[in-house]
Amino acid sequence: MVQTSDKPTTKIPPSKHEFAEIIHRLEAGGSMLPDTPENLMQIIGIYKAYAVPMDFYWRDLLYIAERVFLDPLPAFKYFLPQEYLDLHNHYAGDDADLRIWRGVATAHPELLAFMEKGETTKMPKIFHHLFHDRINMEFAEACMQAMLWHRKMYAPVNQFDAYLDSEEYKANADKAIKAYFRKNPLMSGLYKLFPDMFLEQCRMMSYYSNLGLFWEVMAPVFFEMSDIYDEGGFKGVPDAMNFLINGIFAIAGRPIYHHVYIDGECYEIIPKSKGFTWLYEAALPYVEAVFYRTAPFRGTKSYNAQAGQVPADQKDFHYGILYADVFPVGTAGIPPTLLMQDMLHFLPQYLVDYYQEYCRGEEDILIQLGITFQRSMYNVTSAVIQALRTALLYPLDDENPKHLQANREFFEMQLNRFTRTDYNMRDAARLWDIQRQDYR
Amino acid sequence: MADIVDIAVSNDAFKTLVAAVSAAGLVETLKSPGPFTVFAPTDEAFAKLPPGTITTLLQNIPQLARILTYHVVPGKLTKADLAKLGTVTSVEGSPIKINCEDGFEVKNATVLAADIDADNGVIHVIDTVILMG
Repeated sequence: MVQTSDKPTTKIPPSKHEFAEIIHRLEAGGSMLPDTPENLMQIIGIYKAYAVPMDFYWRDLLYIAERVFLDPLPAFKYFLPQEYLDLHNHYAGDDADLRIWRGVATAHPELLAFMEKGETTKMPKIFHHLFHDRINMEFAEACMQAMLWHRKMYAPVNQFDAYLDSEEYKANADKAIKAYFRKNPLMSGLYKLFPDMFLEQCRMMSYYSNLGLFWEVMAPVFFEMSDIYDEGGFKGVPDAMNFLINGIFAIAGRPIYHHVYIDGECYEIIPKSKGFTWLYEAALPYVEAVFYRTAPFRGTKSYNAQAGQVPADQKDFHYGILYADVFPVGTAGIPPTLLMQDMLHFLPQYLVDYYQEYCRGEEDILIQLGITFQRSMYNVTSAVIQALRTALLYPLDDENPKHLQANREFFEMQLNRFTRTDYNMRDAARLWDIQRQDYR
Repeated sequence: MADIVDIAVSNDAFKTLVAAVSAAGLVETLKSPGPFTVFAPTDEAFAKLPPGTITTLLQNIPQLARILTYHVVPGKLTKADLAKLGTVTSVEGSPIKINCEDGFEVKNATVLAADIDADNGVIHVIDTVILMG
């Protein structure tokens, strides 16, 4: 029941691109992911499973950025205090700025239940941590690092990054660093000797805040999508994509900032008044850094400089989820395993039943859900592409053929990222695979 | 003659724009000698934005101001001047593409009325809110 029309619905001649079918689908208001009930069920189920650990990630990212800050021995940075579990999400609950999810503003009940019992039984947090019966927060930190290491993206539209190098930022950070180490002469002395070392750590903290504020929005969006699906509200994959597009626009203007709390006082390292926005300073850099680029997996690529496997230029990095080989998930050197393991705890029953019918059933469930996750992220990326087209180009039903041609060129340019031959990028891209239902 | 703000206030098509400019505290700036070139979206242009966008922006004034200053270019640039330049840099800092090949387009917006003269600059009325990127 794939509802992809071979004929373009637009008034311009058909595309000659190798992904012409997908381009025509995008021009008809569709997603890169084919519209089948099976795909819809998979992606919504995995959004739900992703949103619960994400509810932990954003809270802990903000906790680290705002409270742990430059702690030289942050041994307990994953031990989320009650205050941050009770923190109200700005887009859920009764007192939301703009209510996206109809559920609670505090931490998700399934997350709280998992934190209490984990896969084992009720015991103090420290034992859950030591037995590795916990949320893999390292995955969230890896995403943060991807953003930090791929700086200079989207300049001059992304102004957050340039600000981190400004004198104003350095002065703000200096005040906070001095206050933070006020009672620690050793660290204060080190700061005098090596100021840049501390400043760079502070920039990293600003990225913790950036990503935390980004995911604070995505968690309620995914929860609400799951609820709408359960109520029978989505009729197909394009509906789910359109919900994401509307979400992107609704929140586009939320501020991105970095506040640090030291001895009850707030230090505005990046104040809200800088005008940094969710869309330009968090969402778009995130998509580029995490969906497309990230860093080569230690388990699949050689970093040997002579071998030339890893590109010299960061813009050629292609190790994000859209290119990832999911089959080795669960083996050494494959970072997304951390996330797959996290999502495993929160799968809706219909998805567990579904996986049991295919491949090795429960045995290779991490791989199956990983591939589902890849499908779902192609849908999120489609939403981003359609949102950009809405913001920067023309409506799909525009009367002017020149405008339609501009849209066409934009879609083709986006899909060209999956056809480049250098570094085997075209073989790595999974766009063809997700067109097939038997890719699991 | 009137300044940019007076012209917008006196015209019924700019109710949203005028409200947004005053919420963002940009009235004084746009009344200053300038000169400025302003791409002024009509109420219909704002209405085309998806729901929630304006709500969030009105809750966050610096972010609203940033979107609005993207619609302002320093200097007094008529259609003829813009056609020659091709790309201009907004007060916000990001570039704006101009296309005068057939008609008069500012990025993905079409100009509905060009070269409205003001004391401290010039106004071009557009049918779509333009966004950075």
